Amino acid sequence: MSYSTKDIEELVQPTRYHRNVYTDPEIFDLEMERIWARSWIYIGHESQVPEPGSYMTMNYGKMPVVMVRDKNNDVHVLHNRCGHKGTKVVDTPCGKISGFRCCYHGWTYRLDGKLLGVPHLKGYEGTGFDKDDPQYSMQKLARYDSYRGFVFATMDASAPDLKTWMGGAADVMDNLCDRAPEGEVEAAGGVLRYEHDCNWKPFLENLNDAMHPMIVHRSVVDAANDYMSTLPEDSPHRDEAEILPPFGQSYEYMEEMGITGFKYGHHYNGGKTSIHADYSVDPEYEAAMIKAYGKERMQEILSFNTHNTLYYPSLTIKSAVQNIRVVRPISYNKTIIETFSFRLKGAPDSMLQRTLLYSRLINSNGSMVGPDDQTVYFRIQEGLKSTASDWIEMHRNFGRDEVLDDRTVGKGTSDLDVRTQYSAWKEYMTAAGP
Amino acid sequence: MSTVVTSNEVIRDIEQLLYQEASLLDRPDLDRWIELYTEDGTYWMPTIEDQEDPLNHISLFYDDRVMMEVRRRYFVHPRAASKDYKVRSSHIISNIQITEMDDKTGNCTVTSNFHCFMYYRDKQTPYAGRYTHELVRDGDSYKIHHKRVDLINCDAVLNTINIYI
Repeated sequence: MSYSTKDIEELVQPTRYHRNVYTDPEIFDLEMERIWARSWIYIGHESQVPEPGSYMTMNYGKMPVVMVRDKNNDVHVLHNRCGHKGTKVVDTPCGKISGFRCCYHGWTYRLDGKLLGVPHLKGYEGTGFDKDDPQYSMQKLARYDSYRGFVFATMDASAPDLKTWMGGAADVMDNLCDRAPEGEVEAAGGVLRYEHDCNWKPFLENLNDAMHPMIVHRSVVDAANDYMSTLPEDSPHRDEAEILPPFGQSYEYMEEMGITGFKYGHHYNGGKTSIHADYSVDPEYEAAMIKAYGKERMQEILSFNTHNTLYYPSLTIKSAVQNIRVVRPISYNKTIIETFSFRLKGAPDSMLQRTLLYSRLINSNGSMVGPDDQTVYFRIQEGLKSTASDWIEMHRNFGRDEVLDDRTVGKGTSDLDVRTQYSAWKEYMTAAGP
Repeated sequence: MSTVVTSNEVIRDIEQLLYQEASLLDRPDLDRWIELYTEDGTYWMPTIEDQEDPLNHISLFYDDRVMMEVRRRYFVHPRAASKDYKVRSSHIISNIQITEMDDKTGNCTVTSNFHCFMYYRDKQTPYAGRYTHELVRDGDSYKIHHKRVDLINCDAVLNTINIYI
């Protein structure tokens, strides 16, 4: 079918959404045009292109793009397409170059994408070809900007500026960076690249679903508790023993964590507390934080404890853990999730090691947590082939969330995160094109 | 790196250990598999070629004996959704080379190539790469002190890896 604006509006209702949003390839294609090109999409972190000439490639929606640092230290996001025949110009995940050079006919480009050289140019004389016409450059994406080193881009020239778009959810990005004694983070320790057999949305809807951990992750919590309780009391401290068991927290605990939603689909759960709140603090880290901020400010920073924060639709971060997951939709039932870890500048190595341990324990393809979540997403994708109902419900705590000026606040177990996303989904999907 | 030539008997013992480990993973029988490892044994699957370190860089797996014990329990937990499906593997090990040998203790490092087909939820996935086993003498036989699994596609986009390879 071909969807009219009215058809799309009807797919999302206050307490339910239509299964086609997960299962219809046509909806997926519309989402790529209307959400994944209009919203600010996460590209990468500036620390991943540390020097002039450093580049990193990725997909923006379905399009190949490259993030690159030019000779003036400005970071750009360019279409990874030669202005000549359309060849993808750089095809390795990252590297360092003095300029771009296409592997086909040798067209060369400056690091900001401007076309420099065309071999045997005289063949173009008098043909109407203009080397200085921007269409023959490696074109810049319509807009790109960064917030505390995190680079986003949008194809929508009329989108609100990045900071406005982030709204109150920027507090969590601030908290992630403020947890560094030097106030900055840098990507470190590589990436996990994990193929998920599902649409991109069940992953996002699960991030702050506080009703699932005690069910889905009961297995690993039991296994960890069963064995670790048999270890002698004087056994060395293990971070695993602090990271895994909180996934089994009670409904009451999860409810207390709270959940906060914002315009454009962003949300986080936690705040006052989260399942990361009781991690022990390395004394060396604490000393570095006190030196940098003073005790009072340090306590303020470390007591802002969120679990997942979503910058809809492409980036989810864990400020208290210092890792992020990046969403790369491939098709209506295939999504790649990439996990990156971050170093808190000025913190001891133990902090990065804990972040990497967390990423490995929770987000790795070989972990005992991520695979159970991904199984659920796959089964949602399978189950929704059923015609038993066209609808997926999202009633929990409906009408009981508190609507404030710039945010909506509810209990941690509320479906407010899902309603927040679908309200943004509907707005993007039905807005007039840029 | 040159291969350390050693007696046929030693080579035979080492091969037998590697084959035994592979067949326990084929089933998989983690209860008996763990027993092949020393108390301070570790299992590591890096995410990049020539990865130097399991702690300052992300890995797909890095389990010490405690985490092996947790994983063994998790693997048979009735409520682990991803383990509702059977996991069956078939490992082939070849190109076995003893690359280091301590003549005094008999402890050695052994490299090998492996091909592993893993069947899970109606899908068969091939894995290939290189094993590095650090073995320690334990009476007449050997125990595994450290196993490193370098997948040739360690840095690719991978789906779930359901069990040790």
